[in-house]
Amino acid sequence: MNILIVDDELPARERLSRMLATIPGCSLVGEAGNGTEAISQAENLKPDLVLMDIRMPGMDGIEAAKHLSTFKEPPAVIFTTAFAEHAFEAFETHAVAYLLKPIRQQKLEQALNQASALNRAQLAALGGAGRTHICARVRGNLKLIPIEEILYFRADQKYVTVRHVSGEVLIEEALKSLETEFTTKFLRIHRNALVAKDYVQGLDKRADGSLEIAIKGLDERLEVSRRHSPEVRRYLTGED
Amino acid sequence: MKEPAMNDGSFLPDFCSRRNASALILFAELFALSLVLAFPGEDRWRALLLTSLFVLWVAIGNAVVLCLARNWLARQTPLLSASVSYGIALAVTVLTSLLALALDRRLHLGLLGYGEVTGFILRNTAVSAIVSAVALRYFYVQHQWRRNVEHSAQARFEALQARIRPHFLFNSMNTIAALTRSRPEVAEQTIEDLAELFRISLGKEKTITLDDELDLTRRYLEIEKLRLGERLHIDWALASDLPMQARIPALILQPLVENAIYHGIEPRTDGGALRITGRPGPSGLEMSVENPLPPANAPKRSGNQMAQENVRQRLSLAYGKGARMTVVSENNQYQVNLTIPYSAP
Repeated sequence: MNILIVDDELPARERLSRMLATIPGCSLVGEAGNGTEAISQAENLKPDLVLMDIRMPGMDGIEAAKHLSTFKEPPAVIFTTAFAEHAFEAFETHAVAYLLKPIRQQKLEQALNQASALNRAQLAALGGAGRTHICARVRGNLKLIPIEEILYFRADQKYVTVRHVSGEVLIEEALKSLETEFTTKFLRIHRNALVAKDYVQGLDKRADGSLEIAIKGLDERLEVSRRHSPEVRRYLTGED
Repeated sequence: MKEPAMNDGSFLPDFCSRRNASALILFAELFALSLVLAFPGEDRWRALLLTSLFVLWVAIGNAVVLCLARNWLARQTPLLSASVSYGIALAVTVLTSLLALALDRRLHLGLLGYGEVTGFILRNTAVSAIVSAVALRYFYVQHQWRRNVEHSAQARFEALQARIRPHFLFNSMNTIAALTRSRPEVAEQTIEDLAELFRISLGKEKTITLDDELDLTRRYLEIEKLRLGERLHIDWALASDLPMQARIPALILQPLVENAIYHGIEPRTDGGALRITGRPGPSGLEMSVENPLPPANAPKRSGNQMAQENVRQRLSLAYGKGARMTVVSENNQYQVNLTIPYSAP
C-alpha cells in the first residue's frame, strides 16, 4: 500500500514514518505539510492511502480530504488529531476513521486494514468550515484556486466557468450550490452569474436600459438580469 | 482600538421576584414601626397605621418602577443605574406624598395634620433620600462581594481548564514520542519542561517570581519550537533591570504566549514572529505579547477570548484597578499589554 503522510509538524511526520516502516506491505511515498501540499502530492504520487492531520495552516485536513474525494480514484483517508473535540461524534456515527496522537502501533495497523475512500455520507458528516479553494482539472492536472482570487462564476450549459485573477477554468458544480456556499462573499447578478463582492467596481446602465457590473481588473462587463437588479442595487447602495 | 468597559448596572435586587418584594415590604413595615416607636406621642396605633400605609406605598411604588426598569438599568453603568434609581426613589416619594394629600382632602379624612403641604413633602423626600442612599450603597457593596466570590471560584475553575489546552498536551506528547528514538536527550529535556509546566499549572501556588514565570514561558516555547520548527520565531526584548524576584500571579504570561501561538502563529502556513517585551514602568511591571494576526480566510479557532479573559480576571482579583490589560489590534499585529504592580522583594 502506498501511503502519503500529511502533518504540519515535523516530529509527528517522523514518528509516523518510523511506525509505517515496521508494517509489512506499507510503503511511504511522500510527505506534505498542509492541505494544499497534500493535494498536489496526492495528485503526483497517487497514493492508496493518506494519513491526514486535521489542524493545519492554510487548508486544513478536512477540506483537503474533500478535495481528494473528487479525484477519479480517490485515496483512502485516515485522519489524525491530538484531541478529539465534540465534533468527532459525527466522525464516529459515520465510521470516518481517525487516530489519536500519539498514535498506537496497534491502532494504526487496525486502521490501515480497514481503510477505504470516503463515501458521500461521510463527506457530508465531515462538516468543517467553508472551502478556501476551488479545485479544478486543467488538462488532466489539478489546479487549486484560492477563493480570494476568484472574480466571478458563470454558468455555461453543463459547466461553470471560474474566472480568477490569472485566467479561467471550468468546473462541474452547480451555480446554485456555489451561491449557497459562498453567499457572504459572492453576489448573484444573473441566472447564470455569481460575482465576487470584493471585485465589484460599480453598476452601469447600458444603451438598451439594462444594467451591467464593472469588475476590478477586467474590461469585460457582466450583464445584470432584471430579476436580480433590485437586489444588486440594494447591495451596492448599502455597501457604499 | 481599545476594548469597551463592561456595563453592569444590575447590582439592584430583582424587585420583580416575590421574595425580594416581600422582603421589601417587611423592611418598610419595620421602618415605619421604628419611626413610630422613636417618637412617643398619643394615639400610637393611629400613627403606626398612617405611617405604615405611607411607607408601604412608597416601597411598593419603588419596587414596581424598578421592576419595570430592571432590564434597562442592567445595561447601564453602575453610576448611571444608581443615579436613576435614586431619582426614582425620590420621585415616587414625592408622588406618593401628593397622592396621600389629595386623598386626604378628597375624602375629607382629616388624617394628615402635619401642617403645610410643602413641609410634608419635603420631610418625606428627605427621609427617602437618606434611606435610599443607604440602601443603594448596601446593595452595591453586597453585589460586589458576591461577584468577587463567584469570580474567584470561576477563575480557579477556568484557570485549571484553560491551562491544560488539550491540543498542546497531546501534541507535546506526540513530539516527545517522536523524539525518543531520533533525539532521546531532547525528549528527556522536553519531558522535564512539560513536567515543570504542569507542576505550576496544577499546583496551589498562586504567585511566583517573575524569574520563574519567564523561565516557565521559555520552557513552554522550547516545546512549541520543536513542534513548529521554522514557523516560530521568538523575539525576547527584556529590560536588564527587570525585578526578577518580584512576585506576580502564576501563569499570567505563559497563557498569553500560548494564545498568541494558537491564534496567531500556528494558523499561518509560514508561521510568524512572536515578540515578548518586559520592563519596569511607573505603575508597575510592563509586559507585552505581540503576534501577527492569522490570515482573514483562515478557519476560525475555538476558544477565543477565554484564555485572555481568564488572565484579565485573575489580575483584577489580585490587584483590582492596579493592574491593567489592554489589547491593541492594528497593522495586522495583535498585541496584549499588561501593567502589573509589584512590591519590591
